[in-house]
Amino acid sequence: MSDLNRKVHEALAQIGRMTRRDFIRFGAAVTSAATLGSLGVANAALAALPEGVHVMTESEHAVFARLLAVMLPTEGSRLVPTTQVPVMQTLDAALLATMPPHLLEGLKGGVKYFDEGPIPRYGKRFTELDDAAAARFCDEWANAPEAPHRALAMGLKKLVGLAYWANPPTWVPLGYDGPVTRKWGLKSLGNAPMPK
Amino acid sequence: MTQKMIAQVPRHGLKLTQAADVKQPSIHLAADAVIVGSGAGGAIAAYELAAKGKTVVVLEAGPYVPSEKFTEMLAIAMGTLYQDHGGQSNTEGDISILQGACVGGSTVVNAALCFRTPDYYLQQWAQEFGLTNLTPEVMAPYFDKVEANLHIRQNAPHETSPGAELINAGLKKLGIPPGIAKRNIKECGLTGFCFAGCVSDRKQSMLVTYLPWAVAKGAQLFADTRVTKVLADEGNARGVEAEVVDPATGRKKADLRIDAPIVVLAAGPVQTPLLLLKSGLANSSGQVGKNFACHPTMSLTAEFDKPVDDFHGATHSLYVDKYTLPEEGGYLLLNAVQDPVEASFQVEPGTGKPYVSYMSRYRNTIRLITLIHDKNVGEVGWTDGAKAIRYTVDDADFESMKAGLKTNARVLFAAGAKRIHLPTSHALAIEGPAEIHRVIDGLRNEPSRYRYTSFHPQGTCRMGADPARTVVNPKGETHDVRRLYVVDASLLPTSIGYNPSETVYALAHYIADQINAPQA
Repeated sequence: MSDLNRKVHEALAQIGRMTRRDFIRFGAAVTSAATLGSLGVANAALAALPEGVHVMTESEHAVFARLLAVMLPTEGSRLVPTTQVPVMQTLDAALLATMPPHLLEGLKGGVKYFDEGPIPRYGKRFTELDDAAAARFCDEWANAPEAPHRALAMGLKKLVGLAYWANPPTWVPLGYDGPVTRKWGLKSLGNAPMPK
Repeated sequence: MTQKMIAQVPRHGLKLTQAADVKQPSIHLAADAVIVGSGAGGAIAAYELAAKGKTVVVLEAGPYVPSEKFTEMLAIAMGTLYQDHGGQSNTEGDISILQGACVGGSTVVNAALCFRTPDYYLQQWAQEFGLTNLTPEVMAPYFDKVEANLHIRQNAPHETSPGAELINAGLKKLGIPPGIAKRNIKECGLTGFCFAGCVSDRKQSMLVTYLPWAVAKGAQLFADTRVTKVLADEGNARGVEAEVVDPATGRKKADLRIDAPIVVLAAGPVQTPLLLLKSGLANSSGQVGKNFACHPTMSLTAEFDKPVDDFHGATHSLYVDKYTLPEEGGYLLLNAVQDPVEASFQVEPGTGKPYVSYMSRYRNTIRLITLIHDKNVGEVGWTDGAKAIRYTVDDADFESMKAGLKTNARVLFAAGAKRIHLPTSHALAIEGPAEIHRVIDGLRNEPSRYRYTSFHPQGTCRMGADPARTVVNPKGETHDVRRLYVVDASLLPTSIGYNPSETVYALAHYIADQINAPQA
């Protein structure tokens, strides 16, 4: 096992040891997916709706999954492959499930609008574009004269990125070591004494 | 009423009531004072009133998360400690407006940076808003008091970060004087996790200071309890109605009513005006929710040839305020460490391989924040039953931002940066000092074009002598309802260009003294 793989597995194991209560909503996605192991997550990602995804529909999942692949082409890089990270589960449980209903409704409309965005210029939905065209479309909308196009390109990529980078194993290849207080043995100072 | 006194402050933790502790469907209490919100203003008011023997009940909408539950993972902290799970924004969606939403409020998740209110603004508030009572001489003892109580000290030389050291070198090259941060932190552990809560209780947030002190003086604290209505009749405050909500399910567990002749609002500059609007109180001026400002910030991200590892250390170490007053430019520069989650969305290197390449060089990056003193042009209100923060950056303020970004970029290049990424929706970088003016002059004030973050909402129940222009009088009491007070950053008549936490601490002490003073 390479040093990188060992560190990734250590980080996954560390997450597995954390209690569900520690994570509340966010960790629920990370923990449940992490305990599946990377193979389980990869297999789940091939399904129409992977295990642990409840808020997004199949068509919304297709858009987010395509955006993840286009935004984070990890092949050939040091980054943890997206197939080994429960991105869709994290996005669904931690971000979408916590949105107020009116915002979630707006987002769902935005996802559909984004998917249909390339049709006038490319003759295809976003989910049907090849990698190069899909990346070009994202960059075009990010610099579009229409504010909603910019907002969607920026916002959807932010959501997908957050759902990937929130998972601690993704930090290992960056050289970021994450939480340190317990590792460094820092003691709590507790409550301050009452002022005189 | 008699206040039950508890002799000792516990070494750790808080005695309080959470949703899980509530068994009955309805609770009815009476107190001398009810305080809505447990952040900077609410905690200080609770302690000061309880210390004078008043029975005090504090109601906090957010959960109680003790420090041993903090994870030092920003993404998780956003979900557990922040308003709307970190998703609060303006209606355009291009300004992330971050506030704490937990016991202790924003003091739990801020970076502990403290500034006294500049005399410039105290004088302006006196001239333009009739706040002649808030002179520098009057306020000085209040600043002294909170600085002592919260251990506000200038960073020691070792309380820095690798990125701050580079920026400091850049400032020296340019002859720009650095400001050394003052923070309410005791024996900083230099973890860099201020924004996710301080696990080792070194940050002197309300969670480990005024709240346990208030409880030791007999104050009763409820978490998971959202106030739904402020009660008043015949122009006098009477109490509040609230709901205890199970944070796990979002379901109401109990109705709560507190009868109290003193009501203190400290729910923050978004929730306080929303509550007043919902209650139909204190708005004869029509100014409740108006005059919203938020100190929008943009971060420039600089890439260096070698790893800098600017993720642990003091979250804030230094600042530049040479240009902070409006006549000097209206912007403040602040360094801050940055974890990968934040770094992942601060800039747009380009979709696909450019993004992967950029994130792979995360260790080589540092950021420098530009914060602007903004005009009070926004409004908080209700739209179809949902809160709405209507605010866009004013054109003149955007010019201040551009001026700040230019200085920011000069500093980063002087520090040795090889490339600087801008927080735009599209890929935009500055490849060298010669490009700074060309690139930044090309920026236009457009919605959804930039990645703004705000930590400092303010101004929505502004304080002043004129009941026709302001919501709260110079003593912190609403013009319309006697014994209904506001003690959060809603009070600020103008934005102040600096982190406002110490201003709120001092004003809360000042207003608590007015509440405790004999009433006419």
